Amino acid sequence: MAPKIGVVTFPGSLDDHDALRAVRLCGAEPVSLWHGNDTLEGVEAVILPGGFSYGDYLRCGAISRFAPVMAEVIKAGEAGMPILGICNGFQILCEAHLLPGALIRNDVRVFVCKDQDLRVESADTTWTTDFTVGQIINVVLKNGEGGYVADEETLRRLEGEGRVIFRYVNGNPNGSFHDIAGICNERGNVVGLMPHPEHNVDSLTGPTQNGRPFFTSVFNFLAAKV
Amino acid sequence: MARVVVDVMPKPEILDPQGKAVTGALARLGFTGMSVRQGKRFELELEGEVTEERLAEVRRAAETLLANTVIETFIVRVEAEPESPPEDRDVESADDGEASEQAEDAEQAKSAEQAEAGEQAPSAEQAEAGEQAELATQAG
Repeated sequence: MAPKIGVVTFPGSLDDHDALRAVRLCGAEPVSLWHGNDTLEGVEAVILPGGFSYGDYLRCGAISRFAPVMAEVIKAGEAGMPILGICNGFQILCEAHLLPGALIRNDVRVFVCKDQDLRVESADTTWTTDFTVGQIINVVLKNGEGGYVADEETLRRLEGEGRVIFRYVNGNPNGSFHDIAGICNERGNVVGLMPHPEHNVDSLTGPTQNGRPFFTSVFNFLAAKV
Repeated sequence: MARVVVDVMPKPEILDPQGKAVTGALARLGFTGMSVRQGKRFELELEGEVTEERLAEVRRAAETLLANTVIETFIVRVEAEPESPPEDRDVESADDGEASEQAEDAEQAKSAEQAEAGEQAPSAEQAEAGEQAELATQAG
């Protein structure tokens, strides 16, 4: 049976439908989750999509982080459920302290929208087993507040524990420390990244299909678990 | 009712692109030698008396939601009671102008300036339209 993957819709989410579509195209059953519900409806993994949840008021992700569904997402993430935060979803995961650090306004002070080259630094997470370390992939990047920052100690720990999973190559688009594009938690089940793999699953609308392995990785992980 | 103010600022070691943009704009307008860092000011109207417990609660609120202590610092302070009711204050500062500002201490001068700035602020609708336009250029 195809695994059920939930995608949370917050007020102001934009890429929830693309994420649901990507889940379906890659062979799983997408389940739409509403931010105001306090149930995950039996899904086996959760995606927090991109967009401008709560209008990015206060700080990106600061208000969404306290949405009712997030209490369940945090509980599930801490218990080992695969959670993927894309762009605004990454910001929410940082605000929720499921991932360390924070995302601040791009150092270039403009919204960046481009096909971005990334180097895979770790295939040892529930969302990246279908990649190989050192592989260069190209995924859509579009954000105004994608600069990853963290204190020295946190950066040392992330680097030392192999938790930087994607790095920007051929230019750092937003001033992220250590060219960090994506990180994971200690267990490797919670992953956050600024680029948008859900836009790179289909040759009609994406220049590459480098987003597919995110979804197939988690499906394999869930299949192996059962 | 008492007013407690929470000032939130980006930590010194964290890049402040907004402050940099404002610094650049000031320089282009001829306001040189001014380096800006931009933060946020929250005004909390508290019911009842401001006790140590209430202030501790405000600090918890600031830590939980108003500031992200990974990248920001915050200061909580109780704002002095205005000498006259708020509806009179605007009129006063407009009439007395500079003379009264000079007479007041620095903190009061600041609040008078803010009151004036408030008077000149665009209408709520305009402010919201501007906000939405700005949002369109931010993170996705």
